[in-house]
Amino acid sequence: MSNPLSNLAASLNPGTPVPVERAILREIDESTKAPALFFLVSGILWLLVGTVFALIASIKLHYPSFLGESEWLTFGNIRTAHLQSVIFGWSTNAAFAVALWLMARLSRMRLRHPGIVLAAACLWNLGVTIGVAGILRGDSTSIEWLEIPTYATPILFVAYALIGVWAIITFRFRQSQHIYVSQWYLIAALFWFPWLYSAAQIMLLFEPARGTVQSLVNWWFAHNVLGLWFTPIGVAAAYYFIPKVLGRPIHSYYLSVLGFWSLALFYNWAGVHHLIGGPVPAWVISAGIVASLMMVIPIVVTGINHHATMRGNWSALKYSPTLRFIVFGALNYSASSLIGSTMAVRSVNEVTHFTHFTVAHAHHGMYAFFTMVMFGSIYFMLPRILHREWPSASLISVHFWACAIGITIYVVGMSIGGVIQGLQMNDAENYPVFLDIVKSMNPWLHTRSVAGAIITVGHIAFAVNFGWMLFKRSPDAAGAPTLFHAPPAMDARSSAS
Amino acid sequence: MEWISYIIAFVIALLITASAVVALRWAVKTGQFRDFEKGAETIFDEDEPMGRTADSFPGKAPPLAKPIIPNR
Repeated sequence: MSNPLSNLAASLNPGTPVPVERAILREIDESTKAPALFFLVSGILWLLVGTVFALIASIKLHYPSFLGESEWLTFGNIRTAHLQSVIFGWSTNAAFAVALWLMARLSRMRLRHPGIVLAAACLWNLGVTIGVAGILRGDSTSIEWLEIPTYATPILFVAYALIGVWAIITFRFRQSQHIYVSQWYLIAALFWFPWLYSAAQIMLLFEPARGTVQSLVNWWFAHNVLGLWFTPIGVAAAYYFIPKVLGRPIHSYYLSVLGFWSLALFYNWAGVHHLIGGPVPAWVISAGIVASLMMVIPIVVTGINHHATMRGNWSALKYSPTLRFIVFGALNYSASSLIGSTMAVRSVNEVTHFTHFTVAHAHHGMYAFFTMVMFGSIYFMLPRILHREWPSASLISVHFWACAIGITIYVVGMSIGGVIQGLQMNDAENYPVFLDIVKSMNPWLHTRSVAGAIITVGHIAFAVNFGWMLFKRSPDAAGAPTLFHAPPAMDARSSAS
Repeated sequence: MEWISYIIAFVIALLITASAVVALRWAVKTGQFRDFEKGAETIFDEDEPMGRTADSFPGKAPPLAKPIIPNR
């Protein structure tokens, strides 16, 4: 019992009283340093790896002989490796870093049990590494979004479960009276994902369900990874950082709570819209379409809140890197989610299904929304964790503009290409030869490779700035702009220790 | 045999749903839905107060925050 922060048994005992001591922000940020940095460094390495995979996959679609002699790098392998390394490598690592930093701050307490989190971080990255290597070897399970082979998935599950335990302990010992809306989203995401992941693992890989149930479980899982894991983390970050950076509270707190509970109610049903036209009971699909359209409620509510908070403050985008990325992400959350709901309508789905439009939509949500919000969050977090300023303002600008322009070209190009592709595939009279449709996609596929190259420039700028910041020798003066302004007494204490 | 795993999955799904209901009930009972304006302000404190911009490009002074216009 010497150190209550490190006593796991006390934390797990429901009888342990909650101490009454509100930590100050500087201490909280400091306490998250080791695990947050571990997640961020590995996340950014995965981002670079995933970007290389993405470029290879994209080039292969319009130049099939590219790296064609290597059996490890066939399109099927490389595309899957790209998906898994950006979803579980980059996005989830970044989500963990942002989530644990936000959880600690919103609970107003120093991070308890950094050991658990570090162990989870090691296991998680070990699992993803084995998984991606396995995919490149050809061991993909061929179930979309769950391609990591079964010899790696239990490691991932254990890692996630550890984070879940940590989140519950953090929530239980929180020093905040009120649960801010971001915390609802974070707790829900950390609580839901292990359920999604384990249920899908068991019903698809270890004890596979038969027939159409398999595809239902598949899309229930695949869509919920986006809606019940990445979306809540991204929205939670936006709900925290937009008011925080502006220094003014969210437009309507009431709406934000409504948004959370309506997401919790509807999202879980929506995944079946991926099976429109498939051999599953019609009522299941109809329920999925209804839920997808009901999602308009949380989307509009969240959109109103994010954008109305910005009203009259748009000039702040010029000054704040965090806000720039996060507002770009929030705008694209509204756009991609509304497009998603529209895509669930049968007549629209007839055109967009099985086309590049779906690919554009996936990147719209995962990149233009989620990844950009994570970038913004990292720009806010890291100076406070390291007590150092970002070394280069121009690299931040390069990062933002390359990523923003690149992903816009990507999404717009692939959406147009996808609609053309869908209309042609539905028009057997004028397009009887499938190869003609494939060929007509060529300009759009080239556009994607160009967009990908632009995004790569942004990622390199980000990685350079990040590495430079980590290894920068001298800490900045206390008055550096994005730093937390410590009262003089605090400084004396921290320099003495 | 496969029905057993379906039943287990269904029961767990029911438990998860029930946990959401319990959470909502708990939130209502502990007053989480009272006084929304105060709730929205809980992310600010003396270190990062309302009315001050908290982020800017490195090397540039942060702009003065605009006065807070009441939203409602």
